[in-house]
Amino acid sequence: MDFIASHENWKNCFSEVAPGLLLFARQWVQSAADAEDIVQEAFVKFWRRNHSIDNRALLYSAVRSIALDFIRRDKRRARREATVFAETEPSIEPQFEVEDDTQSALAAAVDSLPHDQREVLVLKIWNDLTFSEIAGALRISQNTAASRYRYALSNLKKSLQPQ
Amino acid sequence: MNDFSELENELKKLRPAQPSPVLFERLQQALEDCGAGALAETTAVRSPYNWWWLGFGLATAGIVVLFAVISFEREHRLDTATVAQSSPASEMRPEATGTEQSPVSDRFVPAGGTNVVYHARDEGLHFADGSDRPVRRVRYHTQQTWRWRNPETGASLRVSYPSEEIVLIPVSGQ
Repeated sequence: MDFIASHENWKNCFSEVAPGLLLFARQWVQSAADAEDIVQEAFVKFWRRNHSIDNRALLYSAVRSIALDFIRRDKRRARREATVFAETEPSIEPQFEVEDDTQSALAAAVDSLPHDQREVLVLKIWNDLTFSEIAGALRISQNTAASRYRYALSNLKKSLQPQ
Repeated sequence: MNDFSELENELKKLRPAQPSPVLFERLQQALEDCGAGALAETTAVRSPYNWWWLGFGLATAGIVVLFAVISFEREHRLDTATVAQSSPASEMRPEATGTEQSPVSDRFVPAGGTNVVYHARDEGLHFADGSDRPVRRVRYHTQQTWRWRNPETGASLRVSYPSEEIVLIPVSGQ
């Protein structure tokens, strides 16, 4: 069994999963730096416990758990920042590397999805998790994961249709 | 294929933002920092096995000692019973003096005793040393028999031996 916790392969493993992990973490935090902090903490935790890379659901579950803790810890800071940023133009760091207007519209549509649908979509499309793994990571049933995914695609299709 | 396959393909073409190179450096540093911790954790993971083996060894040793003690005690009891049955004199000695039972055979309780005088001989009047009054000396030959019984096993022990007793009876002049 390939374990992620080895000095030889951790960079390769992380290179493969890092963009998807960061995108998943960005569901809870707007700052890319905060998302990287969350991913780093989760990956180190995952690595130290010698979990198998095959158990990807555990890694994403760790990211989610740490992100929720991060939100709770920084709620006061977030309130202060919200007060300050309310008077200025918000500059949200892009979650995707868009190449044209079509992709930009698609990224905006993804960003406008309800949170529960968006996180399932992110895990399915950009992290290649199965519905079983998504269910494990989010602690929901497979049917719920699948239905949220269908709702997300349906909503995206509606929002992308020309008016 | 489902109705969303085209949309899914479009979504997959959308590439997430790449992590900053700094993240790799920070991660490498964090992993190196926790390397010693991870090693300690590995040791800590192994230590329960050691404790298991230590506990198992101690338990085994305890059981062996327990069996040894039980076996020794059983052998000791057998030896004691053998001694009690093969050397009645040691059992008899305290009973002959009329005191308590021998500590070696505490499980044998007295079951009775007889003292049969089978011969008595009057040896006449004598004057004891330093005395001006005569005494009659009577010599008795007796056969004394003592019995013990073990209430647990039902075993009995009987000791019989001859004895001689001289009795001096003062004689009063009339």
